[in-house]
Amino acid sequence: MSSRWYPIYQKGNPQLRIFLPNFWMKLVKSKDPLPPNVVEFHVPLAMTNHDIKNYLENIYKVKVANVESTLENGKLKRAFGKIGGFVTKEEDYRRAIVTLPKTESFTFPDLLPKEKTESDEKERKKMQKQQADNFKKYEKRANQIPGVPSWFRY
Amino acid sequence: MHKLQSVTRMPLSCSMFLCQRHIQMLRKFPIQKVAAIHTTNRCLDLNEFFDEHKNWGASEVKVGRAWKKEELRLKSSSDLHKLWYVLLKEQNMLLTMEHDCKENHVYFPNPERLDKVQDSMENLEDVIRERNIAYFELETTHTGERPAELIDNAFGLKEVYTKTEYDIPKEVNKVWQEKNPPVNNKSRAVQKFLVLLREKLANRRYAQLAKDKQQVARIFANFKDVDAEAVQEKFPNVDVEEVRLSDKARGNWAP
Repeated sequence: MSSRWYPIYQKGNPQLRIFLPNFWMKLVKSKDPLPPNVVEFHVPLAMTNHDIKNYLENIYKVKVANVESTLENGKLKRAFGKIGGFVTKEEDYRRAIVTLPKTESFTFPDLLPKEKTESDEKERKKMQKQQADNFKKYEKRANQIPGVPSWFRY
Repeated sequence: MHKLQSVTRMPLSCSMFLCQRHIQMLRKFPIQKVAAIHTTNRCLDLNEFFDEHKNWGASEVKVGRAWKKEELRLKSSSDLHKLWYVLLKEQNMLLTMEHDCKENHVYFPNPERLDKVQDSMENLEDVIRERNIAYFELETTHTGERPAELIDNAFGLKEVYTKTEYDIPKEVNKVWQEKNPPVNNKSRAVQKFLVLLREKLANRRYAQLAKDKQQVARIFANFKDVDAEAVQEKFPNVDVEEVRLSDKARGNWAP
C-alpha cells in the first residue's frame, strides 16, 4: 500500500513487497583503513542486513558477499554562544560494513580535487588584493582633500 | 519519417513523388510520433553514490525545480515507479556528497537540491496514494487507508489513535490485558486536571482578546479616518464599535 501500512504477515500468505522503498543510504569514507573490497555505509536504524543486501543488489546492481552492521549514536554537541549552552544531539544511524566479492575493488574518490580548491583560493586572494588596492586609492584621494565629510569624498 | 508525416498534410500536387495509393494509405493511417531518444540505465554501480565528476569541488551546481503534483498525475503508474528510483538514487547521492562536505569542513553547494528531491518524492507518494484510494473505493467502497479513531486518552484529552493489526484480538489476549490495564479517565484527579487546563486556556484567550482590543484602540487613536469595517474584519473577536467609543481610542486630535 502506498500509505506505508503493511498487513501483518501470516504463514502461507503471499510475500509482502515494498513498491516505493524510502530507505536512504550514504556511502562514507571510513576512518580506519579497509580492504579494497569492503565499503562502509550509513543507513537508517530500521534497515536490516537483509534489507541492505537487497537494496544494493536490486537498485544499484552491485553484488554483495556479506553485510555486517552496528548501531551508532549521533554526536552530542554543546551549542556554544547560546545562553546555557544546551546540548544537541545528531540523529542515530546504523553503520553497515559491506563486503563485495573478492574480484571487486572500490576506492573512495577524492571529492575535493586539489586543482579546484587551489584555483578557488587564488581567486579569493585576488579579490582580497583588489579590495585592499581600492581602499588604498580611496584613502589617497581622501588625504588630498582633508576636512571634507566622508560622504562627499568618493 | 518527418518528411512522410508532413506529406499527409500537403496538397496532392506537392507530393507527386509518392504514388497515389501510398498517399491514401498515409491519410488513412498516419504515422504516429515516436520518442526520439531511448536510453538505458547508467550502469555505474557504486559510483552512482557520487555526483558527476565536473561537480566535485564546485561552488555552485545549478538544477531545475521539483516535480509538481499536476505533472505527476499525468504519468502512468509504471513511469512513477521508475521515477521513484531515480529520485531515491539522487537523494542518496546528495546525502553522500553532503556528508563528505561536512567531514571536510566545506560548504555543500546548493543544499536546496535535497529539499527539491524530497519534495518531489512526497508529491509522488501523494499522487500514488490518491490513485490507491480511488481504486479501493471503486473496488471495495472504502478507502484502503489505515483506520483511525478519535479517543479520549488517559488525561481525558482527545487523541487520534491509529489502529494496528494483531495476531490475537485484544479481548482474548491475556498477556496484553495484564500489561495494559484499563485506565479510568473519568477519575477525580483527571477532572481536576481538565478544569485547570480549561482555566489556563481561557486565561490565554482573555489575554489575547485584551491585546487585540489594545491594538484596535491604538489604531483608532493614531489614525483619524480608519475604515472600521476593515478593522473589524482583521480583528473578528473584538467589538470594534465599543472600543472606538472608549476612552483609550481617543487620539491627540479634535473629534
